[in-house]
Amino acid sequence: MSARVRITYCAECGYEPQTLALASALMTALGGRLSAIELVPWLDGTFDVSVNGDLVHSMARDGGFPEPAAVVAAVRARL
Amino acid sequence: MRIDAAYFAQGVTYEEFKASMTRNREQVEANERAVPLDPADVAALRALPRPLHVVAIVEDWCADVVANLPVLARLAEASGKLDLRVFDKSKHPEAIGRYKKEGKFESIPVFVFFDEAFREVGVWIERPASVTARRAERRAAIYASDRAFGSPDAPPADLPDEVRARLLAALLQMRADLKPWADREVIRELREIVGRAVAA
Repeated sequence: MSARVRITYCAECGYEPQTLALASALMTALGGRLSAIELVPWLDGTFDVSVNGDLVHSMARDGGFPEPAAVVAAVRARL
Repeated sequence: MRIDAAYFAQGVTYEEFKASMTRNREQVEANERAVPLDPADVAALRALPRPLHVVAIVEDWCADVVANLPVLARLAEASGKLDLRVFDKSKHPEAIGRYKKEGKFESIPVFVFFDEAFREVGVWIERPASVTARRAERRAAIYASDRAFGSPDAPPADLPDEVRARLLAALLQMRADLKPWADREVIRELREIVGRAVAA
């Protein structure tokens, strides 16, 4: 099974570096095992990461940014 | 870290800051032109016996900076009583140390007002609470206006692309509609700080 990762980030909060760092970590660790990485610009301080529709990190719910390694692990668990 | 005259001198003018912006300059200048300044606002600042020094801690990606720094700059320019210096937080991370929102969040912009001896007379952070509250009310109303938008608490990425684009457009329009009123709220709060300096 492949995984589709969606990163929803606040586009007015300066979160681009964290978004790109997470996308880079996923690409490096998982490469072709991913079906897609989607970057979704949003508002309101959002930083959500979902894998195949499962929300694995939410800044509002969990606080802060996720550790890229934790997101990679969450994706691996769904492959 | 205390802000004194020597530190203040490390800041740049508003025009220098705009010249250094890597993004959002057009929007800053559009917001500057649209600030609903009232003659009474200018008169209130001109009542200051001496100019205040004002430190603005900002970054150019921040929507609240883009919205609110031009309001302060217009007040400064029109009154001649606010000596404004701008500090880019990415270049001066130490500047925000004492001015974190609720003591922990590095929210920007931060406007710190000082008298001629660099005694602090007021601090303003991010945006008025009234603006945050009204946006939240309007946001809830937008979600309630269309079942397709789902719950305000659900991740927006779960929405179909077309619905998400429609919701984003509605939220941005709501902010634009509130902008003149929000500017007045910013001016009201800045005038309160200046008023305390006049009374002191």
